[in-house]
Parts: sequence; C-alpha cells; structure tokens
Amino acid sequence: MTENEREMMLDLLCDKFVYGLSEEEAKKLEGLGYDPKEAESIELTVAALSMADLATEEMPADLQSKLQAAASDFAGEIRTAEAEEIPVPRREIVLSDGGTSSWFGWLGWAAAAVASIALAVTLFVPRGSQDRAGVATPTPTPVREERPDPVQQRQQLMGASGEVVMAEWGKGNMPNMEVTGDVVWSDEKQAGYMRFRGLPKNDPNRETYQLWIFDETQSEKTPIDGGTFDVNAEGEVIVPIDPKLKARNPKAFAVTVEKPGGVVVSDRKRIVVLGAVKPDQV
Amino acid sequence: MVQGILNRIAAGEASAVDECLKKYGGLVWSLARRMLRNSDDAEDAVQEIFLDVWKNAGKFDEEQSSETTFIAMIARRRLIDRIRFTSRRISADALEDVLAEPMDRADRKMQTTLEANDAVKAMNTLRPEQREVLQLSIVQGLSHQEIADRTGMPLGTVKTHARRGILQAREFLGLGKLDSSKEVHA
Repeated sequence: MTENEREMMLDLLCDKFVYGLSEEEAKKLEGLGYDPKEAESIELTVAALSMADLATEEMPADLQSKLQAAASDFAGEIRTAEAEEIPVPRREIVLSDGGTSSWFGWLGWAAAAVASIALAVTLFVPRGSQDRAGVATPTPTPVREERPDPVQQRQQLMGASGEVVMAEWGKGNMPNMEVTGDVVWSDEKQAGYMRFRGLPKNDPNRETYQLWIFDETQSEKTPIDGGTFDVNAEGEVIVPIDPKLKARNPKAFAVTVEKPGGVVVSDRKRIVVLGAVKPDQV
Repeated sequence: MVQGILNRIAAGEASAVDECLKKYGGLVWSLARRMLRNSDDAEDAVQEIFLDVWKNAGKFDEEQSSETTFIAMIARRRLIDRIRFTSRRISADALEDVLAEPMDRADRKMQTTLEANDAVKAMNTLRPEQREVLQLSIVQGLSHQEIADRTGMPLGTVKTHARRGILQAREFLGLGKLDSSKEVHA
C-alpha cells in the first residue's frame, strides 16, 4: 500500500467510525484493504473521544423501567440456559400416566389431595427463541429419577422455615374460564408454585400463559414477570414460578394469555386468573 | 482481581445484566441524547444498544479498552446506523440546543466518567485546529463540510486534521492492540 493509499484508507476508517460510510465508500475501503486491529483501535479512539466533556445524565424513569424489564428477560434467559445445563425438575413435564417411573412417588400424595383428578405438571417453556451470543438455546432435558418432582418441591417449600404466602385463584376478565387453584411463594427461597385446575391447554405456537407478581418493589403498573408457561395436559397442573426479578412481599398474582415467548408489558386484555395473598392461609 | 461486569455477563452471571444497566445506563442515554435530536429516537436507541451490549459482552477485551469505552463504541455503532438510516444527524441548527442542555439540566443528577476526563486530556494534547475539528465532528456531530463552512478551513484540511487528530489521540489513550510502528504522526 502506498502512503497515499494508506492515508485514504485511514481517512475512510475515521469517517466510518465518526459518521458511517456510504456503500460506495465502504466498497472503496474494502478495495484498499485494512488491518481489522487498526480499524478497531480507531473505533475505540473515536468512542473514547466522543465522551469528552460528556456529563452523564440519568435516564428517564419510564425508560429505566423498560430497560429493567429487558434486563430481567435477558438475565432470565441466562438463568434458563444455566438451569438446562444442570437439569432441574422445575421445567419438566410430569404426567400421571405416560410419565417416567420416578414420578410414581408423588402420585400417592396427589391422590390423597385430589383423589379423582388426573395429575399433570406442565412444561415451563424457555422464554424466547432469539439467539443470544454465548447463551445456548435451552431444550427440555430428560428426567432424572432421583430428583423430587414439582409436587414434592411445592410441599417442601410449604414445610420450609420462613414465611410462605398463599393466594387462591379467582376470576380474571376472560369469560367461560372456570379455573381454580392457588399459588404459594417464599421470599426467603425466592421460589413458588402455581396450582391450577381447569386451565385449558394452549397452542404454544399461538399463545402462552404468563405470570405476573405484584410486590412491594414494583408499582402496580410494572409487576414482576413471573415467567411464561404452556399447559399441555388436562387435570391439575403445578407450575414453578420463574421470577425475572427478586420479588419481595407479594400482594397479588395474575396469569395472562400472551403471545408466544411472553411480553415485557402485558396489555392485561386476557387475564385468566387473579389471586390476592392471604398469609394466614399458610 | 475483580471480574468486570461484561465478563460476568459473558460467563452467564444473570445478576451482572442488571448491574450493567445501572452502571452504564446514564452513559448510553447521554450519548444517545447527544447524537440524536429526538428523545423518542434516543429512548428506542438506548434499548437497542443495551441488547447489543449484553449480546456482545463476550467480545470485550480488557486489554484493549475499558468497559466504558467498549460500551460507548457499541453505542456509537448503533447510533450511527440510526442516524444514517433516518438521515437525521444532528445539525448546526440543533447544536445550540444541545450545548444549552447541561445548563437546562442543572437540577438533574449529572456525573462525569473517568473516561470523559481522559478524552478531554487526549483532546488537549492535540493541536488547536485538530482539537476543534474533532470536537465539532465527534462531539458535536457536524459533517466535514459543515466544519469547513463554519471554520473557513478547506475541506481537505478538515479531513487531514480529523485523521491526524484521531491517530494522535489513539496514541495518547493507548487503545487497541496495535503495532506502534504503523502509527502516523502529525
């Protein structure tokens, strides 16, 4: 490369990182060729200089809320990927029949609790299918026999030390929904379980269920995303809660129907169930 | 040694995502407000930038730059794309508003990063005409032609000052992994 060509190349690199290049300029730069390390060092320098005299100002509160929700979603995907690396029962399907033998242990408890109801535990669908750099797309994992199932986990949670709150499901705003059940939650464990009877199966390609947690850390307008889930069996369903933020002293829970993958903010047009916490029930 | 936020995101530490937002939210927002005229555009851009930052956290190399500079780089990429797409690069007309903003925002919480101070130091190592060109182009967003019109310098001279100023500032700031023998001095 001649000195003139090198100057031209550097001019174009500087222009690229200060203003961006037109197609024609980009082709010219490609034609000249350049060292990617040189390009990166110039880009970093321009970025550094762009901060000269920059007094950083706090973002508007509404933007902060949106970004916190997005951060929770992204962090949730990281957690999902981590969880899938070490299989845990919270994302597994458990069926009363057709399941693996490991689940028979809880049938006795379940039979005593809900004698005539076919038991099912739903799959917690990993949120979003977008490709995240460095994060493997999670897939359902095989059942390990020695692990407790969600019913046992729910029992363990309720028997654990520390306060566990409970809310019974009541009607939302969707007609013809006859859903009963409850939700239990432990601040200390940051874990909880929803139990449903009569929650219709959903088509995961068209819609999903999503839990919202109304707690003291968030306003009523921005409840915590408690995770999405799909129901693929009839009967009683127990779903682990997957909060995207740390929840503290929840007052109420709501389940909505949303688009596949869930939403950051619900329009609340399809509320399946609502539950207000009654601590004295636990 | 304490691991940085970006490395922790890349390692799959979920809590680091929120930390990243808390630590760099103001920086990204301020860069967006400086480069984009419209605050709605800035809000959209900031959301896109943070997704880019989180997705690209694994590409951060602490030997090449600080986290702040890396995030500013990612932010500028997205902002430049947006400006070019909408052809709404900040103009001289809007400049007065931008320059007036810090005074208007006196009641708000403002901070200056260490990197901002370093950038000023780097600018101060440059010749006055180089510094003027870089302030007008990189900091204030004027095109080379607009700078030529404003300063009376020939367009070619503006470009030369811009290139030499950036390369000299690069040397001062020590960014990137570059063989110093390749650098061009003013």
